[in-house]
Amino acid sequence: MTHPLIRIYPARWRARYGDEFAVVLEERPLGPFDVADVLLGALDAHLHLRGHGAASEHQKGFAMSLRIGGYAAIAGGILWLLVLAGNAINNGGDSFSPFLGYAVVGATIATLVALIGLSAFQARSYPVLTWAAFAIPAFGAVVGLFGYALVVITGDSDALLVGGVSPWMISSIGLMTMVLGSSLFALATWQSRSLSRGASALLALGAVLVVFALFGISGSLFPGPFVVIPVLAAIIAFPAGWMALGISALRVTGPAPMRLEGAPS
Amino acid sequence: MQPRIPELGRFAEPALLILVSLSDGPKHGYAVMADVEAGTGRPLGPGTLYAALARLEERGLIEALPPVDRRRPYRLTAIGETVLAEQLVELSEFAQLGLRRLGRSPG
Repeated sequence: MTHPLIRIYPARWRARYGDEFAVVLEERPLGPFDVADVLLGALDAHLHLRGHGAASEHQKGFAMSLRIGGYAAIAGGILWLLVLAGNAINNGGDSFSPFLGYAVVGATIATLVALIGLSAFQARSYPVLTWAAFAIPAFGAVVGLFGYALVVITGDSDALLVGGVSPWMISSIGLMTMVLGSSLFALATWQSRSLSRGASALLALGAVLVVFALFGISGSLFPGPFVVIPVLAAIIAFPAGWMALGISALRVTGPAPMRLEGAPS
Repeated sequence: MQPRIPELGRFAEPALLILVSLSDGPKHGYAVMADVEAGTGRPLGPGTLYAALARLEERGLIEALPPVDRRRPYRLTAIGETVLAEQLVELSEFAQLGLRRLGRSPG
């Protein structure tokens, strides 16, 4: 580190970049443009180092939110698979097992966390689109959890609240809003290109299929024994969409693959 | 159109050039300078290069690899790859809009 121009940089900067910067300066004779550029670079380094810590923490925050969102999306996907498959085996019957209830609550919380984590990452580029697409499913998840808490408090008594609405109805409307809102979130993710577009498409399709299946619409579209096809597709596509989106998020937080053979590692 | 690499101010354009240079594999500082100059016909000064490299590294868009003979190569992170792809798509759409307004089809 012998080049005199390097000495005008801050010590902290020199400790990190000094050696390699000296090599760059030694590679070719410096013209007036280069000298002026280095002087401005040194001034910038002195000014910039003051805000260094804040910028670094900001970036770490993005990566952390993406990781949390990714893990939550995978967990939510697994739990939704259990819920949808369990509900199908139960044939939508009245006897809702406690296990399925816990799975619904867990899946809803995980989906809410995934929505927050992934949206915080995507909002850095598309804030309006991302937060608009986040609002509906997140609102649905909160209402769904609130309704489920009322079910537990009222002892699953089908008690009618104000306006003749039962806790089950509140919970169902909330969860349905969340599922449908997931398709909006998936479309926003598709548009922003921040995460896998394939996973986004799968989630959007899965959300629509779940609504079709739960409302029995697929029954009128697929007669007789073929009705099982869209139901099966819904059970697979919606959870798989969330899981694929979660895996895609975790891949973004990891290192990029090396592309050049023989490149230094 | 101003490239939308977040919060890089006047270093947004050099940062974009550096990300594109690293998009086909790791390079050290001087190789990035030479690559940018060859690709754009404009020199990238060493002071600007390292100011932009430092910012990109802080934001996790690139990462440093172990030095080889005092030269330290840098490579894109997966986040950097995603951000670069977003920027290039936006720039491409903007360029196509401009060409259409000029009555010159892009392809």
